[in-house]
Amino acid sequence: MLRFVVRRLLLLVPILLGVSILVFAWIRALPGSPAESLLGERATPQAVAQIRHQYGLDKPIYVQYWNYLKTIGSGNLGTSIASSRTVTYEIGHRFPATVELALAAMLFALAVGIPLGFWSAKRYGSWFDRASLVASLIGISIPIFFLGLILKYIFAVRLGWLPSIQREDVTAVRPHPTNFFILDALLNGDPGALWDAIKHLILPAIALGSIPLAIVTRITRAAVLDVQNEDYVRTAKAKGLRPLTVDSRHVLRNALLPISTIVGLQTGLLLSGAVLTETIFSWPGVGSWLKDAIFNRDYPVLQGGILFLAVVFVVVNLIVDLSYAIINPRIRLQ
Amino acid sequence: MSVVELEAQELALESPTGGLWVDAWARLRRNPGAITGAALVASFIVIAIFAPLIAPHDPTEVDILAVGTSCCPGPSAHHWLGIDQLGRDELSRIIFGARYSLVIGVVAVSTGLSIGLLLGSIAGYVGGLVDSLIMRLMDIMLAIPGLLLAIGLVAMLGPGLWQIMIAVGVTNVPIFARLLRGSVLAQREQDFVLAARAVGVRRRQILFSHILPNAVAPVIVQGTLAMATAIIDVAGLGFLGLGPQDPGTPEWGTMLTQVDRYLQSAPFLAFGPGVAIVLSVLGFNLIGDGLREALDPKLRGRA
Repeated sequence: MLRFVVRRLLLLVPILLGVSILVFAWIRALPGSPAESLLGERATPQAVAQIRHQYGLDKPIYVQYWNYLKTIGSGNLGTSIASSRTVTYEIGHRFPATVELALAAMLFALAVGIPLGFWSAKRYGSWFDRASLVASLIGISIPIFFLGLILKYIFAVRLGWLPSIQREDVTAVRPHPTNFFILDALLNGDPGALWDAIKHLILPAIALGSIPLAIVTRITRAAVLDVQNEDYVRTAKAKGLRPLTVDSRHVLRNALLPISTIVGLQTGLLLSGAVLTETIFSWPGVGSWLKDAIFNRDYPVLQGGILFLAVVFVVVNLIVDLSYAIINPRIRLQ
Repeated sequence: MSVVELEAQELALESPTGGLWVDAWARLRRNPGAITGAALVASFIVIAIFAPLIAPHDPTEVDILAVGTSCCPGPSAHHWLGIDQLGRDELSRIIFGARYSLVIGVVAVSTGLSIGLLLGSIAGYVGGLVDSLIMRLMDIMLAIPGLLLAIGLVAMLGPGLWQIMIAVGVTNVPIFARLLRGSVLAQREQDFVLAARAVGVRRRQILFSHILPNAVAPVIVQGTLAMATAIIDVAGLGFLGLGPQDPGTPEWGTMLTQVDRYLQSAPFLAFGPGVAIVLSVLGFNLIGDGLREALDPKLRGRA
């Protein structure tokens, strides 16, 4: 087990190095220069030269890459050209927002998807089964930004029940020690802030969770269908266990294996792919930040941010592999 | 019974299952989902081809006076789905948008498919160092989330319709490359490949006329499903403002961006393009699912 973990961690190195080269090369291929975007098109050549010198852009390309590697090696991801804050600081403030959103979306998908898939399989071929299949197909086919617009229109514009932008009431002034707003509210013992944070989270979480929900439903249904005809399920029934015990201990427990893989993969995608959701709901996370960075040609943000997300994605996948080995004792890792 | 008679009987027994594709076609025809999907896609193709005949108005015809003081007048007898903030007929724009969506799907998927096909089959067939190099590159591409990679490519190429199609296509490359490599690896060790090599067929010909045709079934399934995601992703990039820079272009995703501002006064403007995207994506998803079931070798002979 330990050897497996170490080997997987070592495999991270070439992948991350590759990502850093790719990101670095890509940024050099972008049209326009950061000096231009910072100073405007009518900047004097001296000012441009000074900016280029300040950010080391006048050195040979391999020197720039080496400097880049040296700085990220020391944990310094540079300073955002647009906001003048360090990239690490920005990630520290924005990543919690994205994590909170992704976890809420995944929680929503699991809480609805597993029971839905389970009951569909139990009532295989019934109208309920068909309806949930159709619903999950539509869930996969609906673009997040369209769903987001619909939710925003119904619950924010029409009914006025829920807020549709930001993470908390814009007039609120509250301390945020961890930047996980729900956790912060709990730490501060402030029920008003807690409700405020949850209220802001509901619509984006449902929009972002729609695709995982559809996938979780389908996978759960397929897995339960597979498992419930196994010999050990028949044995469990034959020896007179209550149906509830058979379902929870034998059927669902084994059906969880494929579900856990999907959950991991999807969580990685949610953490990194929330660009659209964050844009629609003005959620101050990593996704919308990187999108803005592209429009601003904010090189340090792009390099650091994408590298960071790639690391997160790869690490989440590693955790999935490991948890898979823990959940399923039959898997003996070489 | 003589041996000849036995063989004749076997042949007679096997004849109803006329090969993978005939079987698949028979199963596909009996799958209501696949039929619905095919009908959806077919109607979008018809709408796209005959858009100028079907659309009641010119999709780019601006009529600011018709908009009035508040955006935007709702559906009426003259404009069935209302008009947008510049007074253009919404229905006509959605109808012309079908052209863009289908072209988008085809271009994006064929870009991803052709590059992925080439890289994947070379990696699988040649093996060794080439294989490692190609597949590690694919791993790196997969380590960057798809939409972000696409946004990055658009930033490099500049915003525009062609650019977003190519960007989405490129994000599909590693998926197809992996799929093809796995398929080719499985086929490479088959007897018919050995036979071809034994009679001296050239390597390139073995790859293209013996291995690839047999490795193509999962690619077709993935290709159909990729059409669905490509349409969504391109619409998403359009929604972020990276799509066609001419605001007159009736691309569905771009149309939705402009709607966000008028959500309060003219929510119906979001409805049309959104539903059009959902239906076209649903169509490809249904066909893809149907194909996957139809081409599943485990189900062969159970037409």
